[in-house]
Amino acid sequence: MTPQPDALIFRGHVGIGSPVRGVALAASDDFSARYDLDRDRGVVSRPAHKLYGESYVGKILVLNAAKGGVASAWMLRDMVLAGKAPLALLLNNANPVMAQGAAFADLPFVDRFDTDITQAIRTGDVVYVDPVQGCVRIETRSSG
Amino acid sequence: MLDGAHGDAARWGIEYQQRVGTFFDAVDFTPVRLIHISSDRETIGNSGIAFLRELAELPPEQRKPRAFAAADFRGFDEETFKFLLPGRDLAAQSEEAVEALADLGVATSHAYINDHSVTPPAFGEACGYSGTPSVIYMNSLVGARCNFEAGPSSLAAFFTGRVPRYGFHLDESRRATHAYRLDFTPCNVAEWGAVGALIGRALNSYWSVPALEIPDRSAAILSLNHMALNLASFGSIAMFHIIGVTPEAPDWETAFGKPAPDPTVLTQADVLEFLDSWGGAGEKLDVVALSTPQLTITELVEIAELLDGARVHPDTTLLAYAPLEIKAAAERIGVKQRIEAAGGRLVHGHDFFATFAKEIRESHNWDRLMTHSLKVANICAGYGYRPRAASLEQCVKSAIAGKILP
Repeated sequence: MTPQPDALIFRGHVGIGSPVRGVALAASDDFSARYDLDRDRGVVSRPAHKLYGESYVGKILVLNAAKGGVASAWMLRDMVLAGKAPLALLLNNANPVMAQGAAFADLPFVDRFDTDITQAIRTGDVVYVDPVQGCVRIETRSSG
Repeated sequence: MLDGAHGDAARWGIEYQQRVGTFFDAVDFTPVRLIHISSDRETIGNSGIAFLRELAELPPEQRKPRAFAAADFRGFDEETFKFLLPGRDLAAQSEEAVEALADLGVATSHAYINDHSVTPPAFGEACGYSGTPSVIYMNSLVGARCNFEAGPSSLAAFFTGRVPRYGFHLDESRRATHAYRLDFTPCNVAEWGAVGALIGRALNSYWSVPALEIPDRSAAILSLNHMALNLASFGSIAMFHIIGVTPEAPDWETAFGKPAPDPTVLTQADVLEFLDSWGGAGEKLDVVALSTPQLTITELVEIAELLDGARVHPDTTLLAYAPLEIKAAAERIGVKQRIEAAGGRLVHGHDFFATFAKEIRESHNWDRLMTHSLKVANICAGYGYRPRAASLEQCVKSAIAGKILP
C-alpha cells in the first residue's frame, strides 16, 4: 500500500472491534441510537439532526459525542444483527453506554482523536478504521 | 474467571468488561453488591431476549449470580396498551423480557430503583446501575459510585460481582468541572428539568461534573431528580453537585478540590425561553404523557384535583404513568377512580417513551404531545412528535382544553 500523508491519518484512543474500510457519513451533531434513529428504516429520524433523513446503514458514521442513556447498549447489537447498523462509529467523545454497546455488538468504534474528527472527515470520504491501533486513515477524499 | 473456572456466564462477563475497561483505561475492577438491569422490551430488542435466554439455558453452576440484581417495572397495563398499540401484544412481549431476566435470578419487581424499594447503596459504595437516572441519582444525591452500566454491562456485573474501575469510581472524576448559580427558584419540575437540560446541552460530556448553587439550598428530591435525569438526557452527564446540599459538596472548594471558577448564572428568563422554544401554544393537543420519572402518589393526587369537575377533551388522550404499587395505592384512596372518571388513564408498566412511542404515534396519527418531563420531550422529538414540556398543572389543563395552553 502506498504510504499516506500524515495529514490524512488521525489518532484516537485504542478502540473496540476489528479494522474496516468504508464510506463516511459525517456531521458535527451528537449520537444516540434511541434519540436519533429510525432503527427499522436505518435512517436518522430526529428533525433537528444535521443528518436527518440520511441512511447510515453500512457507513462509517462520524459524529461528535455520545448522548442519552442505557438504550444504545442493547440496540447497537440488535441493529447489527438486523443489517441496519453503521459499519463503524467514530466519535469525538464516547460515554460508557456507547462503548458497552459497541463491545456487545462487535461494532468497530474509536473516540478521543487528536483533532475534531467531525471536521477532519467529510461525508463521502473513503476511510480505513483501525480500532486496534486507535487510528483512522482517509484513503480517498470526497469530491464534494 | 477468564479460564471458565467460575462458569461460562462469568467468563463472558469478565471478557466483555475487560474490553470496556480497556477502552476507558480502567485501573482494575471494584466489587459491587447491587446491580440494576433495565428491563424495557423496546430497548432489549429481540436479539437481547435471545441472548438472555441463551444464558438462562446454561446449567445453574455455569451462570451463578455474584451480586443482587433488580429490574424495574414488571407488568403491563394490558387495557391501556391494547388501546395505545393495537397491533402489538406488548404485555406478552414485555413478559418475555421479565421471564428471561427472572430465569437468570434477577429480582424483577414493580419498583423504580430510586424509590428505595430495593436496599440502596451506602455513601461511597460501588454499584452497577443501568438506568441513567438511577446512576446520576446515586452518584450525586447518595454519594455511591457508579458509571452508566447499561444493559449487557450490568448483566456482566451480575455474573462477575464487579465492574471496571474508571470514571466515577475514582475520586478525581467526581470533582466538579463547571460552576453554575441559579438566581431564582424553579416553580415546578418542568423548570427544574429545563435547568438540567440547559446545563446538559452546554456541557455535553459524560466527563463533565457541574456544581450548582441554588438560592435557599433546599429543593425537593423529585425536583432534583427531574434536573438530574435531564442532565443525563441532554448531556450524558452522570454526576452533579449542589453546594451545601449534596454529600460531596459542602462548599465550592470541596466540590472542585481547588478554588472554584466564577459560576455561570442561569436565570428564570433562560429557562422560560427554553421551554417556550418548543412552540405549539394554541395548537390542537393529541396526547399528554406524564411519566419519566414515574409519578408519585402526591402527583397523582394533584392530577385528580386538577381534573375534579372537568373532563379530558375527547380529542386528547391523558396518560399518567405510575409503578404498580403506587397505582394500587391511588386506587385504595380513590385517586385512580377520580382520574379515570374524568377521562384520564392511569397506566402502569414502562414509561411512554420506552414502549414503542413511534409506533403509538403512527397508530393514532398523533402529532402534538405535552409532558411535564423534558426527557420525554427530548426523546419523543426523535419519534416524530412535536412535543412541549410544561408544569403538571399546565399539562392537565391543556388536556381538558384539548389544546396547548400558553
